[in-house]
Amino acid sequence: MMDPYIALAILAVTLSSFVTRSGPLLISSRLKLPAKVEAALRYAPACALAAIVVPDLLFIGAEPNVSLSNPKLLAGCAAAIIFAASRSMIATIGGGMVVFWLARAVFGV
Amino acid sequence: MSDSLGTASSAVTSRDGFRHGVQELLPAAPGIFAWGLVTGVAMVKSGLGVFEASVLSLLAYAGSAQLAALPLMMSAAPLWLIFLTATIVNLRFVVYSVMMRPQFAHLTRRRRVWLGAFLADIMFVKFSTLLQRHPEQTQRVAYFFGGASANWVIWQVSSIAGILAATAIPTSWGLELAGTLTLIALIVPLCAERPVLAGVIVAGTVSVLAHAWPLRLGLLAGILAGVIAAFLADRGGQT
Repeated sequence: MMDPYIALAILAVTLSSFVTRSGPLLISSRLKLPAKVEAALRYAPACALAAIVVPDLLFIGAEPNVSLSNPKLLAGCAAAIIFAASRSMIATIGGGMVVFWLARAVFGV
Repeated sequence: MSDSLGTASSAVTSRDGFRHGVQELLPAAPGIFAWGLVTGVAMVKSGLGVFEASVLSLLAYAGSAQLAALPLMMSAAPLWLIFLTATIVNLRFVVYSVMMRPQFAHLTRRRRVWLGAFLADIMFVKFSTLLQRHPEQTQRVAYFFGGASANWVIWQVSSIAGILAATAIPTSWGLELAGTLTLIALIVPLCAERPVLAGVIVAGTVSVLAHAWPLRLGLLAGILAGVIAAFLADRGGQT
């Protein structure tokens, strides 16, 4: 049996998908978004992704490690540079993971 | 629709439209496949069960929202925060959905709901391009549905392949990091807009400073600060 909390969490993400994708298609097509709302809708997803990614890269346990001895941080920076240069998702993931593994081997963490 | 501009070089029947949509999506297939694979692996390696991860993938069909919700689920964050976080990451779908509305307005509610459920980043871009370059295309709904359903199939196959493969991959490889790396690849192109870049920097910094807040509320603080910074940067850029 699935853990009830996990089951509800899956439903929460599913509901969110449904509301954001199909919701606007069900509202009257005369409704237009104010420019400010449209801008906020454009900015928010990138901010949310950054707010998830940055702590994920910096924290190893309770303390943030903002130094070159942090393999996850190095991998994340490498991934950003590789994607900016190549626009290739495969190269980004592959290159980032290789940097991560190399840094881990070098720093022995 | 009577917007056909004479020479019908493009699709005529809905079947042709569907096929055209599938063809247009195929160049993106390797990228979609890699992303799905990584998302599948990352879900299981972060601690979600094979069955749970498969259900999440099939029902939610939202890679970035799934990856964003994952650490919250694993730290037993409140459900409302999981819903809110997934929704903020999904807000781009609201933008797409609002822009698609005139194209689907003539359809029944039920069909609109179905088409909306298949709305994803790549097909939205292709569809917008089609409207600009080939306004004579009459089989737009079939075209959209062709590409969008191809995207769905590629995504689900690769995601479930990743979920199954993950059980055979040692945890010590740290492959859950690959999920974070895909999110970075999503952020980078958005940063071409200066307000977004400002928002991303502030959101990242604030979420780190507020990391110790209870219920992972530091995440919300980061997003809020980021959006405010983006608006300020936007105003600064205009004057």
